[in-house]
Amino acid sequence: MADLRKDNNVKEVHYKLTLCDGPTCIHNQSKQLHQVLDAEIKNRGVQNVSIHLSGCLGMCKKGPILIVNPGYTMYGNVKAADIPEIVQSHLVEGKPVARLTIIEDHLYNRFFRIFGDVDFFGKQMRITLRNCGIIDPENIDDYLSVRGYEALAKVLTNMKPQDVIAEVKKSGLRGRGGAGFPTGLKWEFTAKAVNGDKYVICNADEGDPGAFMDRGTIEGDPHTVLEGMIIGGYAIGAKKGIVYIRAEYPLAIKRLEKAMDAARQCGFLGKNILGTDFSFDIEIRLGAGAFVCGEETALIHSIEGSRGMPRPRPPFPAVSGLFGKPTLINNVETWANIPVVILDGGDWFSSIGTETSKGTKVFALAGKVRNTGMVEVPMGTTLREIVYDIGGGIPNGKKLKAIQTGGPSGGCLPEQYLDTQIDYESLAKAGSIMGSGGMIVIDEDSCMVGLAKFFIEFTQDESCGKCTPCREGTKRMLEILTRITRGEGRPGDIEKLERLGGMIKKSSLCGLGQSAPNPVLSTIKNFRAEYEEHIHQKKCRAGQCAAMLSYTIGERCVGCGACKRVCPAGAIEGARKEKHVIDAAKCIRCGQCFDVCKFNAVSKA
Amino acid sequence: MVTPKDILRKKRAEAVNRIISKGYLSTKRVYVGMATCEIAAGSRDVMEVFRQAIANGLVDVYLSQKGCAGRCNLEPTVEVVEEGKIPVKYGRVTPERAREIVERHLKKGQVIAEWLI
Repeated sequence: MADLRKDNNVKEVHYKLTLCDGPTCIHNQSKQLHQVLDAEIKNRGVQNVSIHLSGCLGMCKKGPILIVNPGYTMYGNVKAADIPEIVQSHLVEGKPVARLTIIEDHLYNRFFRIFGDVDFFGKQMRITLRNCGIIDPENIDDYLSVRGYEALAKVLTNMKPQDVIAEVKKSGLRGRGGAGFPTGLKWEFTAKAVNGDKYVICNADEGDPGAFMDRGTIEGDPHTVLEGMIIGGYAIGAKKGIVYIRAEYPLAIKRLEKAMDAARQCGFLGKNILGTDFSFDIEIRLGAGAFVCGEETALIHSIEGSRGMPRPRPPFPAVSGLFGKPTLINNVETWANIPVVILDGGDWFSSIGTETSKGTKVFALAGKVRNTGMVEVPMGTTLREIVYDIGGGIPNGKKLKAIQTGGPSGGCLPEQYLDTQIDYESLAKAGSIMGSGGMIVIDEDSCMVGLAKFFIEFTQDESCGKCTPCREGTKRMLEILTRITRGEGRPGDIEKLERLGGMIKKSSLCGLGQSAPNPVLSTIKNFRAEYEEHIHQKKCRAGQCAAMLSYTIGERCVGCGACKRVCPAGAIEGARKEKHVIDAAKCIRCGQCFDVCKFNAVSKA
Repeated sequence: MVTPKDILRKKRAEAVNRIISKGYLSTKRVYVGMATCEIAAGSRDVMEVFRQAIANGLVDVYLSQKGCAGRCNLEPTVEVVEEGKIPVKYGRVTPERAREIVERHLKKGQVIAEWLI
């Protein structure tokens, strides 16, 4: 380590310190530690040191935790009195303080060694994505080197199927596909069902617009998902697994196939896994991209070769699923958590998160936020932390208007819900859902009616048509919303939408219909004034509904003629070097004059 | 009796040896993001630059692809990792930038600060 001082990259070593800022560490005085550390570094005049705060590092029993890079030296149970020694010995002399270092060989947060000093990653905790962006997904050696398939070996060596289920139950893991059903219970029900063969299914039919968590997981670490499924197969007594993945994900499919071949060659998949009498194999079924096929019963129909349509439950797939046999169906993210639950233990897993929701959740952060990307945070993280600390806030000095979670089944939460903690119950209470993990940040430039219309258009298009409320109801809702955005809204439309939405929710057969009105109902609840403006004043405050806009040319016009040339309707008149005028009757509100004007002379309202 | 754990231990040791024999510990490890998102942002061309450089005699580099780390708006990303040093993370790497990284960082050891994440 002392050689690090002679690092030839830079004259001095830049130390990057990461201090755990999780709730338990804060309770253990990590804030004071931060101050002491800061003061000590300044007092001694140590240069080239930066301190970063991280979210919970999952080592609460040994907190507060301080990590020093390069070298990834981890200090545990750090007291304020230890700080001078750490600063002097490690940061000044280059000798880590052996007495305080702890060695952790957990599976999670391995990304920290590489990415720990980047603020975007600091508040994250990676369990599902633990190997994504760290290893070569197409090389099984890489996966093996990060304790890959060790959970499987552990299960096959000294755990009975019921022990595995007990561990999963203890972990408190809940389905990450959206509904949040306790995974351990699902496993137990399927294990208890007796009816010949059993099946294990991985639901990789990721359909929410803008969501790409499952694709990212499979493309970055396909073996994790396979390992989870094999363990699931062992636990419930199945011999066959199926990954149902959409054909639009060719790279993910290729990597899965490659991973399966490699796993078979190594004896992790196929007959007599790792020399035991347990045999299990996995095949891939491609979905054609229907949103409804993410619903488990529709998915099962699709695998069976029928049209992808849901059926009433019960019976649940755990009792009667694929080909009428007991079937264990979990989402990609849920499967990816299983090896961690087995190796790091259910007790540890349940120590992360909130009272009712354990572990972490992956979100696809998109929309009007500086750092878009795939983020994984412990449950209990607030929306504010995701949008501002990880996402870096809203660009271009705009104001946050809402956060949309859960995709077409979810809702829009306005600013006052920013401090909502992320867990299944809190999000539901606030009027949205966890969903599969889409998160879209909306700024003041977006029209909430238009947004609701976008989602209803999507669900209307994707409705399978089996039950009337969903098929007809979403169509009618779309008609009303289209009318409102065209400036033809009528008094009573809002009430009609509310009534219709409530009816669809109550009477639809599957989750698609039951949740389809959510984007509309939640925007009405939180942004009713915007709907009213559209209907009564024919005004769209975000300036997005073209039909309600009027373009005018102001005093700044220098008469360059750029707008006149670009106008497709010939609606702009004016002599050269004189102020131009738009003829409102001819204007088709395409906005091209607004875009082309270099003098900000065109205004829209 | 040989348990599944024993079998796995052996397999892992073999895997680790294979990785190390390719220069994992002794060289600069270059990771190029190669998930769908990264490829869409142009990472295949970036990968090709590094491949070519190695084909043309660049030594002491362990080139590997990796999945998406989640840093969408800075893709394609490339990491240069060396034992005992802070991992260097480059964002928005174009083939031109990749060539610069080869020349300046991999050959001469200069970190190009302005492209860091």
